[in-house]
Amino acid sequence: MTAGYDIAVIGGGIMGCATALRMAEGDMRAIVLDQGDLGQGASGSNAGTLSLQIKRVKLMPYALKGHHEWEAMGESVGFRKTGGYTLAFTERESELLHERQTLKAKAGAPIELVSNNHIRNAEPNLTQKVISASYCAEDGYANSSLTGQYYRGRLRDQGIPYRERCPVTAISQVGAGFALNTPQGEITASRILIATGAWLKPTAAMLGVDLPVNARINTVSVTERLGPLTSTVIGHATGLLTMKQKANGTVLIGGGWQGRGTPQEGRGEVTASSVQPNLALAQFALPALANARIMRSWTGFEANVPDFYPLAGALPGMDGAFVLGCVRGGYTIGPYISKLMGDFILDREPELPLFDPGRNFNED
Amino acid sequence: MIRLVPDQSAQITRTEKVEFTFDGEAIWGYAGESLAAALIRSRRLHLRDAPEDAGPRGAFCLMGLCQECVVVLEGQPVESCRIELQPGIAVTSLRHGADD
Amino acid sequence: MTDPIDILVVGAGPAGANAALAAARHGKHVVLLDEQEKPGGQVWRAKDSSILSAPQTPEGSAGDALRAEITKAQIDHRGSTQIWQIERQSESWDVHVIRDGEVEKLTSKTLVLATGAREFVQPIPGWTKPGVVGLAGATALFKQNLSPPGQRTIVSGTGPLVFFVASEIRRLGGTVAAVITPNTRRDWVAKLPALVGRLDLALRGALWIADLMVSRVPIYWGCAVVSVEGAERVEGSQIQKLDANWAPKGETWNIDADSLCIGYGLIPSIEAAQLSGIPISHRPDLGGWVPDIGEDGATSIDSLFLCGDGTGIRGAAAAELHGALAGLSAAEYLGAETAKERNILRPRFNRAVRFGLAMTALNIPRPGLAMLTTPDTIVCRCESLTQTRISQEVQVGAASTNAVKSGLRAGMGPCGGKYCQTAIARLIAMHENRPEAEILPPMPRPPLRPVSVASLSGEFNYDDLPIPKPAPL
Repeated sequence: MTAGYDIAVIGGGIMGCATALRMAEGDMRAIVLDQGDLGQGASGSNAGTLSLQIKRVKLMPYALKGHHEWEAMGESVGFRKTGGYTLAFTERESELLHERQTLKAKAGAPIELVSNNHIRNAEPNLTQKVISASYCAEDGYANSSLTGQYYRGRLRDQGIPYRERCPVTAISQVGAGFALNTPQGEITASRILIATGAWLKPTAAMLGVDLPVNARINTVSVTERLGPLTSTVIGHATGLLTMKQKANGTVLIGGGWQGRGTPQEGRGEVTASSVQPNLALAQFALPALANARIMRSWTGFEANVPDFYPLAGALPGMDGAFVLGCVRGGYTIGPYISKLMGDFILDREPELPLFDPGRNFNED
Repeated sequence: MIRLVPDQSAQITRTEKVEFTFDGEAIWGYAGESLAAALIRSRRLHLRDAPEDAGPRGAFCLMGLCQECVVVLEGQPVESCRIELQPGIAVTSLRHGADD
Repeated sequence: MTDPIDILVVGAGPAGANAALAAARHGKHVVLLDEQEKPGGQVWRAKDSSILSAPQTPEGSAGDALRAEITKAQIDHRGSTQIWQIERQSESWDVHVIRDGEVEKLTSKTLVLATGAREFVQPIPGWTKPGVVGLAGATALFKQNLSPPGQRTIVSGTGPLVFFVASEIRRLGGTVAAVITPNTRRDWVAKLPALVGRLDLALRGALWIADLMVSRVPIYWGCAVVSVEGAERVEGSQIQKLDANWAPKGETWNIDADSLCIGYGLIPSIEAAQLSGIPISHRPDLGGWVPDIGEDGATSIDSLFLCGDGTGIRGAAAAELHGALAGLSAAEYLGAETAKERNILRPRFNRAVRFGLAMTALNIPRPGLAMLTTPDTIVCRCESLTQTRISQEVQVGAASTNAVKSGLRAGMGPCGGKYCQTAIARLIAMHENRPEAEILPPMPRPPLRPVSVASLSGEFNYDDLPIPKPAPL
């Protein structure tokens, strides 16, 4: 039987779209399917932070490459290399900061510990209560809201078909390939890539594969447009705060504070009990935020597996099926690891090792 | 001139006039009235400059929703249609250069 | 801590206030919240405290009577209170409010939402100029402040509101330069059967129109304001005739004015209902997107009730009765016996609905109205996005309101999409050749109103920060 496409990519976020683009470079015909609009999952709802200081040591080489990808995407995704600081306010946080950032620097990130004078000069509006800080000149941010627009444009430019508002409701193996049921008709392909992020578990389950994927519900808030307050990306030793002021003056506040809800229920919900301390911490760090009004808070799902390393490789027990997701720091690393994934599917040697989805997740 | 709807404006009695400042300029309104109404009456209609095209904007919905009538009061941006005028308040608009 | 609240009513307009009164009559502990200082909503807005005395109006009487009832029934009314978040818990509702710059959480067994409506204005060139106010917004100015919006005003829009606004401007000492309405005399004559059901309102409206005529204020039937002129503020408007589909045709002519009141009907404010988990449907006859409700304000969630214009534009008279029905439903849910009372009210509600919907029908936009928005017209006021910019985005594949929002920030500005989403959805529907009913508005996000960081933060003690497990290294 002739398959319609060389590969059907389920999930139209950064992972799915960027991999499809790599496939096209290797002359594989791909189609991208998404249950909603492209780039409206984690790819489109995160705070846009591109920071090496929050990347895992082992993933640092991937993150460094990821930053180059974002720089190349540039203005079309609102990329800004602003430099970034991670702040510590207590002795315990200071120790944590010192220990971790040293290891990350050793892994190749240009991270340095800086003096209080340095940070007071660089970010005069931050609270004086900072007791130590680290700095990375490579850090910055992009505008995650533009993910969908960006990849839609690139897929169209490359003539790669995509279907939005097209959930896959069943997948069956037909001969050497796959048949996907969707409300817009059946799609057949010799291969599939599952890149559905927070929905990886139910998607893989359609093929009888159990992936131990969980989803965190991260909260982000945004202020009205403000006069200049900060110029770099601000983080916190515990990760409980991220802040950045964008070119249009709005300040984005995150920190992984948990809302509630599950991917099965649709979209997550903000909870007052978590967004309020998140904002209180932001105001603590940047007192001038006190009178700024919050325009909007939202949540986005961030998927992970128990060892918090990516799923990137062949779907266990199945030929022609692949999975990409749960990348810790997926926004930063996504555009790069997708290229590796594309190469892998094209039977080329990826530049850096991938992460076998069939591994034992309980090993350290 | 025949009117079937009479002009009743003269029959309305209001509180005393009070002074306040708008971008440093002294204007008057009635104590306790809506700040947006006071600004409309004194024809200070231009309250902010829009992003991108810097177009002049002013109160529009008068219901606290459109955010076009936002002014700054004691450092706090607030909808002027939801503020009561008190004597002596210093109101700053969001027009470019208003707080120079 | 005080007794848990039985019934929390959001919105103290005709619907919400009557919901509170009805529930309280059955002994329920009711709390009534509203953004404004005093009950009355938009239609019966209380006067500013700057007004010492003024001639009474029917709206004034109705509002005063309602406020007196609320006081007499000792309803726990909390004015100047904004809701910023609603969270459903397993057995109750947490409603997060802000008042005087401080946040508070109210917990209630049931929730009645009576969030009313706001206006729809079709964007036209110059509609963002200072001096342009909404038609319903103008009535807020009249009722609250008893002042006209300028010295010489053009009044433009659909339905009875346009004549009410013109009349009020004259009553309050202003001058109406002209009344412009897409409705024709014939459209109004077709409403005579419905108007017979409310002779009091029909006669009042006839008086307004007769007054305009004897005073030689021009009324341009079947016409619309197509652009607003003026360098930095309103100095006049261009008018044009409309065809039967409300598409502009023929010559334009200018009318001088220093203010313009413009509006094309009301649309229900549904954000709180959506945030509470209620699905929505598109009902042009009710003003657009409305939350799904059953009889007497019931919803798919047992403990949640909706009423009034926030569920569909049925008018103030229907809202009063709808509110009472919803308040009684909420009381019934908590064990009161209200079936008999509701059976008496329901036919009165249905009669009031017939009149209300007849008036709403005058506002249902015809396809040509969208042509008043030219390529260079700003559609998203907050982000100054023109129709061209939005159309371009749709044409390169942004086929949903979410996609347009993400790509262009349309709807991400301070108003949260309240004044642009209807026009944007229609643009998408047109470009994609899909019915408007398929183009859903984006999901609203908290806070329901802009709230300062300081208010949300409250008293913050750094030591209270949870110490999370260190992230995997």
